[in-house]
Amino acid sequence: MYISINWIKDFVDLDGVDVEKLIYKFTMSTAEVEGITKYGQDIDKVIVAQILSVEDVENSKKLHKLMVDTGKEKLQVICGAPNVKVGAKVVFAQVGSTVNGEKIGQATLAGQVSNGMCLSEKELGVSDDHSGIIILDDDAPLGEDIKNIIPVEDVIYEVDNKSLTNRPDLWGHYGIAREIAAITGRKLKPLEVEDLKLYNDMEKLQVGVEVEDDDNPLCLRYSAMRVENVTKKMSSWKVKVRLYYCGMRSINLLADMTNYIMLELGQPMHAFDEKVVGSVNVRTLKEDTKFTTLDKQERLLDKGTLMICHEDEPVGIAGVMGGLDSEITDNTTSLFLESANFDAVAIRKTASKLDLRTDAAARYEKTLDPELTELAIARFIKILKAEDKDIKVTSAFTDVYIKRYPHITIHIDKDYIDRSIGKVLTMQEITTTLKNLEYGLDVDGDNITIEVPTFRATKDVSQKADIIEEIARIHGYDNIEPKTNLWKISPVPKDPVRELEYASKELLATKYGMSEIHSYVWYNTEMNQELGIKVRDNLKIVNGIVKLDNTLRREMAPTMLYAINKNLKYMPECRVFEIGRTFEYEFDGKDAKENKILGVAVASSKAKEKELVYEVKSMIDNIIKINRNLNAKYENIELVQNNWMHPVNSFSIIVEGQNLGYISVVHPKIKDAINPKTSIVVAELAIDKLGNIVKNDISYKEISKYQTVTFDLSLIVDKNVKYGDIEKVIQETNMQYLMEYSLVDIYENIEKMLGKKTVTIRFVIGSYTDTLTKEQIDNEREIVLEALKKNSMYINE
Amino acid sequence: MEEKISLLKEQVAKKMSEIKNATDVENIRVEYLGKKGQVIEILKNLKNVEASKRKEVGEKANILRQEIEKMIENKKEEIKEREYDEKINNAEKIDITVPVEDNIGSLHPITIVQKELEDIFTGMGFTVEDGNEVETEYNNFEAVNVPKYHPARDMQDTFWLENGELLKTQTSAAQNKIMLKYGAPLKAIFPGRCFRNEALDASHENTFFQMEGMMIDKNVSISNLIYFMKTLLSEIFKKDVEVRLRPGYFPFVEPGFELDIKCPYCDGKGCKVCKGGSWIELCPCGMIHPNVLKMGGIDPEEYSGFAFGLGLSRLAMMKYNINDLRALNSCDVRILKQMNIK
Repeated sequence: MYISINWIKDFVDLDGVDVEKLIYKFTMSTAEVEGITKYGQDIDKVIVAQILSVEDVENSKKLHKLMVDTGKEKLQVICGAPNVKVGAKVVFAQVGSTVNGEKIGQATLAGQVSNGMCLSEKELGVSDDHSGIIILDDDAPLGEDIKNIIPVEDVIYEVDNKSLTNRPDLWGHYGIAREIAAITGRKLKPLEVEDLKLYNDMEKLQVGVEVEDDDNPLCLRYSAMRVENVTKKMSSWKVKVRLYYCGMRSINLLADMTNYIMLELGQPMHAFDEKVVGSVNVRTLKEDTKFTTLDKQERLLDKGTLMICHEDEPVGIAGVMGGLDSEITDNTTSLFLESANFDAVAIRKTASKLDLRTDAAARYEKTLDPELTELAIARFIKILKAEDKDIKVTSAFTDVYIKRYPHITIHIDKDYIDRSIGKVLTMQEITTTLKNLEYGLDVDGDNITIEVPTFRATKDVSQKADIIEEIARIHGYDNIEPKTNLWKISPVPKDPVRELEYASKELLATKYGMSEIHSYVWYNTEMNQELGIKVRDNLKIVNGIVKLDNTLRREMAPTMLYAINKNLKYMPECRVFEIGRTFEYEFDGKDAKENKILGVAVASSKAKEKELVYEVKSMIDNIIKINRNLNAKYENIELVQNNWMHPVNSFSIIVEGQNLGYISVVHPKIKDAINPKTSIVVAELAIDKLGNIVKNDISYKEISKYQTVTFDLSLIVDKNVKYGDIEKVIQETNMQYLMEYSLVDIYENIEKMLGKKTVTIRFVIGSYTDTLTKEQIDNEREIVLEALKKNSMYINE
Repeated sequence: MEEKISLLKEQVAKKMSEIKNATDVENIRVEYLGKKGQVIEILKNLKNVEASKRKEVGEKANILRQEIEKMIENKKEEIKEREYDEKINNAEKIDITVPVEDNIGSLHPITIVQKELEDIFTGMGFTVEDGNEVETEYNNFEAVNVPKYHPARDMQDTFWLENGELLKTQTSAAQNKIMLKYGAPLKAIFPGRCFRNEALDASHENTFFQMEGMMIDKNVSISNLIYFMKTLLSEIFKKDVEVRLRPGYFPFVEPGFELDIKCPYCDGKGCKVCKGGSWIELCPCGMIHPNVLKMGGIDPEEYSGFAFGLGLSRLAMMKYNINDLRALNSCDVRILKQMNIK
């Protein structure tokens, strides 16, 4: 919202106040200021002049040669405006003057000398109108500085609308002036208004308000008045310029007046042509209805929308926009003036639905004070009379007041204020601030009973915390010294999942050269198509800007593969991971289950798929080993759930009997879509589940004092036999002295050993109580060989 | 005999000076100190020496033997030294300027900044909590004092989900759950991913990170909040920062503040980071609204507290001088690798 300092000066004396400092204080005490614009300061020596003669210019259809009288001299001026006429008073920029920062010099147009120029409203900077030059009133004195006639000089500052969301009272200049009065400690002048009682004897207007829900009426108050004999068509320069500087456009006197009052008091008003709308009925639509608004758009309104009707015909969408048919025109001489208050939620719903966020709707949705409607009418008539002294008010003030907000009284004591702010203020300062903000006060010692003014009582101020804010912000937060408090410090329990997350991330980045990425939590439909990834249906976003990408991820792998696909364009190898959320939705309207999953993807043009699988297995093993001191088991997945997983080479990760995820070679079809020359492996590990598995205690095992014996066995086995199968056999033997065993090597040579492979395993045997004898050693060896033989695993002799 | 001894001594000394390797040393040892070595022969044949000189000859021969042993020892040492010298001189010269593979990956800038902040907060006694990403409308809005159709909902374009839930628009969505979980007094931070239904550009992302904190105790005042925020931000920026508070509207706090810091990069002189304005709007905060406390099961008459929000994405951008917010979600390893680990 734009605030005019000239306008503020109508209500607060700012003599001797540094305006820029004041605006800074406004930011510090009331609301954020987004920018300051100084108007008219770069206009200089522009004066009133009169056109004495108009002649055509040879060879030009547009240009005219004028003789212009400045009061001091008569000058030849060449002008292209169509509305030049003899005798007209114009805004004249003489040679040597400045217009919007530009110096005006003598010019030559179509071979003719021009000593200055006549200005349009746009050139003077007071509107967008460039259709012709400004024609001033006939009584404008020749040679007068234009600034004395058109108030071009002003300072406008823009307040961030968002920071006014909770302040319905600040949506007009008078409310802002009240803040400025409190900030500067100066007096707020009372608003000059018409005494409406003068018209009490006149007939009332017909206003009907249908109320459907007594507790929650959609129209809280409807006030109206009739004015006739409006003869003036255009507003004064003061009104026009203020409206323009505050972001609106001057339309005609009556429309300007309603806008002016809205910008001044925050109360939206509507003027109907009284010839069209002489009485009003406020009601909701009983069925969906087409309606053409002022902006000439035909709109389909929902059943239940609150409308202003004349008899039964809708003439305006309540609180949002009037109808085209009852619009004020240049022929309007009498008006039905509406000043009403509507339910904030209803207006907000209608405006959102129609995508019609008008200035009126923006104010109503903040919950305006219904007391304002009367004040606005009284002010409107006062201002209108000043603009057009011939007008006649021809009705009594007509008022249907459905719902009043309750009075709010807040009890607070000085100690509470001091404790909440953390600083001891004087009672004098507290009461002055509150009085300046127009709170009613009853002070009894340290206790204050506060009457909240109606314009703050609709929702903004209702309890003690709100009063604390008023006092503290006007005091200035900068003037509160930072102080510590004696808070109890207690040790913070560590979150096991969180610790695991950081430890895993650091391990992957430092030991495995992985890069952590952040991907989006929804699938990319285009990428899925490009790469051939099929995802299971899941919870969807219903209103995303990008319509296609609306499905939340159920798995991490697809978003990891998008990253691989992207990066392989620049590098032959890529290793990425992310600990992110996945969601499981069962299409039952219930809440989705949220998981925290580590997603891993590695791709290499050098390494084989097997090597990558082992690399990823090492990552998973180490995460589990280092953080939980447990060993993961891996099992072949018989039937893969997702199409990016390899039907043969995909493996589930099992820890303490729980399935925590999988490692899988990427399905060749998808891999080829990404890059046929690259091996790609993905994995997912449920970090949340792993985090909640208790760490296995490390228990110290003594080192045997006696000599141990090491021997290797090279077994020839069928090539489909897994190392895990051999391990199982070893574990199931009852070797008394087996201390440990480990894999030394697996050797496969297709040519020499058809269908077979050699697996070499190293055994360490020993005892904690004796040195083993040769017999004991041989016996151990026999036991294991026997067991292996039973499973068709023979040693290489 | 004595002449022979002194002759032998000269001989050995001469040979010693000429020999080159360990084999020659051994030959000399055999020749003089071996079983049939010349010095040993003398000692063996002492009985043939006339009695009066026997003792003297014996002593001299023994001295000679010791001297030769010593010479052999020294020679061996010398040869060994020389061999090492040769080894060293012939060693391959390693070119240390050849680049090596570091095999270091990278942590995401958000992770780095978040961890840094979590450490600061846990050091100050704060619990770290995790919120959900999919949240209920109640937690995201109602429970933080933003009822349906409240104009404040305009500030945040929301991703709505088909089951009526939403992608949380603010970390504040966790406030209610945390208050109900811990009660008062309470000190907690809750970092997390937030979502806004917005078109992307250099300063707008639909997915970004915030960190929110709450502190609830008896007699917590505005002055305490200023002290705390100043201490915290000085810790984050690792220097004493100047802060200023001005009114800001956030429905879950009353009073609400916008906290600005004097730009720590130029000390307020005006630079790229503060866009010449010398103050940076950094952190919305305020005294927790009594309604929010009540909904969280905490009595606002007994307890008060403050809440604050920090833009993690924003801090990461400041820390690494990233000028495009989209870089953080780009998944582009060329960008991310620059951030490294710590």
